[in-house]
Amino acid sequence: MEGLFFNVNAGYVEGIVRGYRNSLLTGQNYSNLTQCETIDDVKLQLGPSYGDFLAALPPNPSTSALAGKMTDKLVAEFRYLIAQSTGSTAKFLEYLTYGYMIDNIALLITGTLHERDTRELLERCHPLGWFETLPVLCVATNIEELYNSVLIETPLAAYFKSSLSHQDLDELNIEIVRNTLFKNYLEDFYNFVNTHPDFAGPTQDVMSEILQFEADRRSINITLNSFGTDLLRPERRKLYPEFGKLYPEGTLMLSRAEDVEGVALAVSANADYKSFFDAVGLSQGGGMGGMGGGPADGKSLEDLFYQKEMEMSKLVFTRQFTPAVVYGWMKLKEQEIRNVTWISECIAQNQKERIGNFISVF
Amino acid sequence: MSGAVGREPVFPTRQSLGIMKSKLKGAEIGHSLLKRKSEALTKYVRAEITRRIDEAKQKMGRVMQIAAFSLAEVSYAVGGDIGYQIQESAKQARFRVRAKHENVSGVFLPQFESHTETAINDFGLTGLGKGGQQIQRCRETYARAVETLVELASLQTAFLILDEVIKVVNRRVNAIEHVIIPRTENTIKCLYYHPPSPDVAHSNPNTDINSELDELDREEFYRLKKVSGKKQRDVAEADAEILAARQKAAEKEAANNTPAVAAPSTGDTDAPDVLGEQEDNDVIF
Amino acid sequence: MAAAATYKDRQFLAVIGDEDSVTGLLLAGIGHVTDGPDSQRNFLVVDGKTETSEIEKTFQSFTQERKDIAIVLINQHIAERIRHTVDTFADPFPAILEIPSKDHPYDPEKDSVLKRVRRLFGE
Repeated sequence: MEGLFFNVNAGYVEGIVRGYRNSLLTGQNYSNLTQCETIDDVKLQLGPSYGDFLAALPPNPSTSALAGKMTDKLVAEFRYLIAQSTGSTAKFLEYLTYGYMIDNIALLITGTLHERDTRELLERCHPLGWFETLPVLCVATNIEELYNSVLIETPLAAYFKSSLSHQDLDELNIEIVRNTLFKNYLEDFYNFVNTHPDFAGPTQDVMSEILQFEADRRSINITLNSFGTDLLRPERRKLYPEFGKLYPEGTLMLSRAEDVEGVALAVSANADYKSFFDAVGLSQGGGMGGMGGGPADGKSLEDLFYQKEMEMSKLVFTRQFTPAVVYGWMKLKEQEIRNVTWISECIAQNQKERIGNFISVF
Repeated sequence: MSGAVGREPVFPTRQSLGIMKSKLKGAEIGHSLLKRKSEALTKYVRAEITRRIDEAKQKMGRVMQIAAFSLAEVSYAVGGDIGYQIQESAKQARFRVRAKHENVSGVFLPQFESHTETAINDFGLTGLGKGGQQIQRCRETYARAVETLVELASLQTAFLILDEVIKVVNRRVNAIEHVIIPRTENTIKCLYYHPPSPDVAHSNPNTDINSELDELDREEFYRLKKVSGKKQRDVAEADAEILAARQKAAEKEAANNTPAVAAPSTGDTDAPDVLGEQEDNDVIF
Repeated sequence: MAAAATYKDRQFLAVIGDEDSVTGLLLAGIGHVTDGPDSQRNFLVVDGKTETSEIEKTFQSFTQERKDIAIVLINQHIAERIRHTVDTFADPFPAILEIPSKDHPYDPEKDSVLKRVRRLFGE
């Protein structure tokens, strides 16, 4: 039933995204890329899928310039999608940009705290997290003004209002602010896809799974990364999104974990995560050494998480009548940009032995 | 040669001659010591420092490359740019250096030693959501790279200081060799005292002509000659008086008992004899 | 030695470099921002837009004005832009170290110190 009228509003967008998906680089493309000797060769190999966007680059561009141009293409395509969408699909796409907005606002908060000219920061902001009133935030000269303008001007007001005061912005580490916002964002997004009547059915299924994974991944990462820092356990617990496969028992155990083994124990209820921990040798008392040196096959826990994310994003395309494909496509595209950046970085720095350390799912 | 370097402005006395002689000796010893120091330092620089600088610079190339690559891993894991955030979160230096001394041939070389203020941790929470492990690894890699850089900086500073010291020592060696020693030698030559015997003095015209002491000696000789000449004149006058007195007495006697003709003849022969004898006695030099 | 007093309290490193080099070195923990209203950073990020005069000014401030810096790290390609200033700076403190950057591998031919090494041995 839900598919009956889907195409009336969102069919075009979905069709376009499926077209975009076909231009994603395949394993064959990647193996061609790894054979390149210079960045110019890489540029040439990327020609069919990136075309005009790379034309403006100077000969042998820096990897960051290359990545910038690739991101430009992603942004241009996404903007087209958002311009074509209406109703609940448009809302869904907006949700996708909130993650980037959080990063941008965190950047501006950092700048304001250090009394830098935040106008210079605008060009460092991620274009996907751009919203019309972003430049307004630059007017703020102190953190309280900034806080007020964030509340008034940005779509993120809800994420601030419930859990952060302007004193918090001043006192808390920006990373905690960022992760608090992200937690609120994930919970809100999760709530949105689960309650909106338009999304009942495939969208709800797919997005719930993806967002649950995202929430778990963040919880696990935050726990692992907080070891050895002054982030205390009760505060750490506040950063865990309150849903996901690990919630609530797993997150409770995570909040109590004090070392890697504790984390491994906390996630052992979930077969996927357990297999990740086993694969990188974190569960066998390898301790931090596993994180520091990296396992033998060059895959870290984060690599495995990315791998999993990519597989989930790929699976999204097996479903129809859902804007979730946009999410899947964006994640795949981002990973592609990371992959190409990685490959060209390896080529530029002459470190070919690790060039295969990218994630390709096609 | 000796004329070009001049001489020390000292009074030509025996004492200064002694001083000059010991100065020459000191300069020669100092010269050989400094020369050895310079050689030791040069050898140290050549064998140790430059080799190690070369090695360290090559090592630096490698570690910086590895470090840069680990940063690439970070941007891969974080999926974005962390540069600005890192720049803004930097507050207190965690990685610091301390200077220590090393003594090489009497030169104090500073030795930088890196140490970490483990209490300071500006980036502990960076990458909390994702990429934290890579960032951690990257920090370790860069910390190791910076240790190499600090090592290199020590070597480089040591080299710069030694380079400077060697230059100064060489300058001193050259100054002693080409200025102080020739000048002192020249001064001694000028002052050198020659024995009065005329044949010795004249046998070495080179030293004789320039020799100030000889000059003084000749002046002294001339002065004494003058003095003795004056004395002779005085003595001659005194003799003449005595002679005149005697003649008067003799005339008186002659007038009393001997003929006057015999007396003047003896007086004429006596007088030159007396003078000749006196002259011989006076010449004592 | 006269220098002894001056280098005892030199304990920081400073860096003038491109964004990646600075980020990496800051991650290593060399970053230091002095307290007070006229707070000074011990690092400068140089990009395509940075004026040469600003690099020069920062270099002077790190080498002459600040007495707490033991080592100044500078990307070689940036040192090239102020080569004359770098070459004329001959004091042992702070030590000037030319480092490679990601995009510009190290070239020993250009290094001020290695030039002096070669000069010393008359090569």
